[in-house]
Amino acid sequence: MPENTVRFGEYSKEVSVRQHRISYRDLAPKIERDAHGKPIPYKPPKLKITFKDASRILKPYISVRLMEQVSAVFPLGAYLMGFQYLILRQNVVDSLVITGGLLSVIIGLMLYMEGLKLGIMPFGEAIGNTLPTKSPMPVVLLIAFILGVGVTFAEPAIGALQVAGAAVKAENAPILYALLNDWSLATVLCVGLGVGVAATIGTMRFIYGWSLKPLIYLSVTPTSIITGICYFYPNMRTVIGLAWDCGAVTTGPVTVPLVLALGIGVASAVGKGDSSLAGFGIVTLASVFPIMAVMLLGIYVNQTVPVETILASAAAKAAAAAETAGPKAWWEVTPGFETYMSFRAIVPLILFLFFVMKVVLREKIRNAGILTYGITLAVIGMILFNIGLTYGLAKLGDQSGGLVPAAFMHLEKIQASPLYFYALGITIAMIFAWVLGFGATLAEPALNALGLTVENLSNGAFKKSSLMYAVAFGVAVGIALGVLKILYNWPLAWMLIGSYIPLLIMTSLSSEEYVNIGWDSAGVTTGPVTVPLVLAMGLGFGNAVNALEGFGILSMASVCPIISVIAVGLFVQWKTKRLKMAQEARIQPAEGAKA
Amino acid sequence: MSKQREITVLTDVTLITCIVQRGIADTIIKAATEAGAQGATVYFARGTGVRERLGLLGVAVEVEKEVINIVVSTDDADRVFEAMYLAGKLDTPGMGFMYMTPLEKAATYIPAALIEKLTRAHK
Repeated sequence: MPENTVRFGEYSKEVSVRQHRISYRDLAPKIERDAHGKPIPYKPPKLKITFKDASRILKPYISVRLMEQVSAVFPLGAYLMGFQYLILRQNVVDSLVITGGLLSVIIGLMLYMEGLKLGIMPFGEAIGNTLPTKSPMPVVLLIAFILGVGVTFAEPAIGALQVAGAAVKAENAPILYALLNDWSLATVLCVGLGVGVAATIGTMRFIYGWSLKPLIYLSVTPTSIITGICYFYPNMRTVIGLAWDCGAVTTGPVTVPLVLALGIGVASAVGKGDSSLAGFGIVTLASVFPIMAVMLLGIYVNQTVPVETILASAAAKAAAAAETAGPKAWWEVTPGFETYMSFRAIVPLILFLFFVMKVVLREKIRNAGILTYGITLAVIGMILFNIGLTYGLAKLGDQSGGLVPAAFMHLEKIQASPLYFYALGITIAMIFAWVLGFGATLAEPALNALGLTVENLSNGAFKKSSLMYAVAFGVAVGIALGVLKILYNWPLAWMLIGSYIPLLIMTSLSSEEYVNIGWDSAGVTTGPVTVPLVLAMGLGFGNAVNALEGFGILSMASVCPIISVIAVGLFVQWKTKRLKMAQEARIQPAEGAKA
Repeated sequence: MSKQREITVLTDVTLITCIVQRGIADTIIKAATEAGAQGATVYFARGTGVRERLGLLGVAVEVEKEVINIVVSTDDADRVFEAMYLAGKLDTPGMGFMYMTPLEKAATYIPAALIEKLTRAHK
């Protein structure tokens, strides 16, 4: 029997699924003709879907998106709870509420990200593609600026600042209290203005092909100087941590893609988008300018509003809260408050995008059904995320932060504390902070994407894994340093200036591409899960050890990864250079021998 | 040394093409490999069709697609086809589309030892 044939018996054994045969002729639509014999264009009718089919379509759609968020939130939650239970031997208070809150964060983020993709990103892309060709440059820059302000309000992590504000005591840090409570809208607006300026300058950088290095020098130097000045006003010292932390908060899942879409659209329309680094830089600027803006606002408040007024308003607020402890208005209790906040965050951005599309560009809005669906999802997701933020992330972070000091010092809550002798306790606290930073960063989906881009950009010289580990290592060290800062009340100003000066020197030595990658990776790492958790942990920790304020961890967590990535970049640069020299040295004697 | 270059042509080959939503290709390729496929080519594409007709449910169907090309021996074709169909859950609305095309001939690198062995076996 020849080898290349199959017996029918073998064939039918291998084909296990019953097959029907239908001619496609019977399925294809019949084209009808009108009276003149011209074919009428065929319009496919809507499909009728049974419930079973619908659930089968939806299952993979939902499960992929759900798992993405679960893998970011679950390990962190499990780590914090496990640490508290195993090392500190404390039960998690309100563990059911916290678990519910974390679930709400997961579902909220899932809906929000999908809503962002379907409802908001199409606007960003359409505007980015058509705006630069239709409008003069000043209009483009103005829209970039307003967009920068708008996206800041829509950033999910920005709500964490308001939550954090509740934990600050007015007597300890009056200006900080004022910025987070009475002036909180102004603070967020200042952050937004900072991002707006960054978006404008970043877009101009795309158009004119500016190098990032001088921009870094020009923005970081004055920021450091203002930080130094702030240090000499005792009331302003507490604001430094908040200001630098704001920089980390701004660069989240809304700001980065929307502002980038506009910037890249402009760059390709102007025709100078040749650089492979076109997408980089905006993130860096968007994390530096808000710092300056918030500190300037702090100085303004410090100069104009006397401390007594702030204390009086804080006292009045506390009294009012005590009086009206009974029924509150619907917008002040849980679902109502979060709903109000979410609408306030998203609706202005969408109205602005609509306005640009309709009035400035006169573009038709396509797929209105899907857009509405996306926007609805974004709003619902934001509401759920905000609820989860208060009851899950902030609560858990605050609790663990407040309990960790029990490892090395006496806390009233825990009778057996200190649980370990001092040196071991401090070591445990440091390891806790370090592992938290390392794990949270590796779980961040944005970092994975950045790693791939970087590997492609550097032709494999800068491996994806080495970038991810460099960033995670930096964040981990940063968080540990931040915890030490709160514990021993180290001056954050000198820590920041002390780390930015060597960083600027390293920047000047490094090549343009590694500067772009290094500075941007810091902003990318601080996502909507890490930020509130770390912020709340710092505040809880600060309260437990009686520090003035618990800010500053995030700012250390954004400096250190820049240092580590640029250091790895310098190492890669040095290695490739040495390899090249070695190759040349090998070629030369060979040529010499030929001659 | 100047060896005459020659080409060995494979016959009895079949092309299986499978168009699925982005992100699913890897599971299908794994199933195809287990059923005897030796390699696969994937490229990204964009498609329309059932998504527009599903109404609001259409958002669950990704516009961006992956197109998988797998060349198998004609004998294996049905088995691989079936494995891919099941792995990709193509019996779900909006999941994808696949088809099989007979190929006249194909060519690639075939180790010399293998060619020798096969020619000897046929003689």
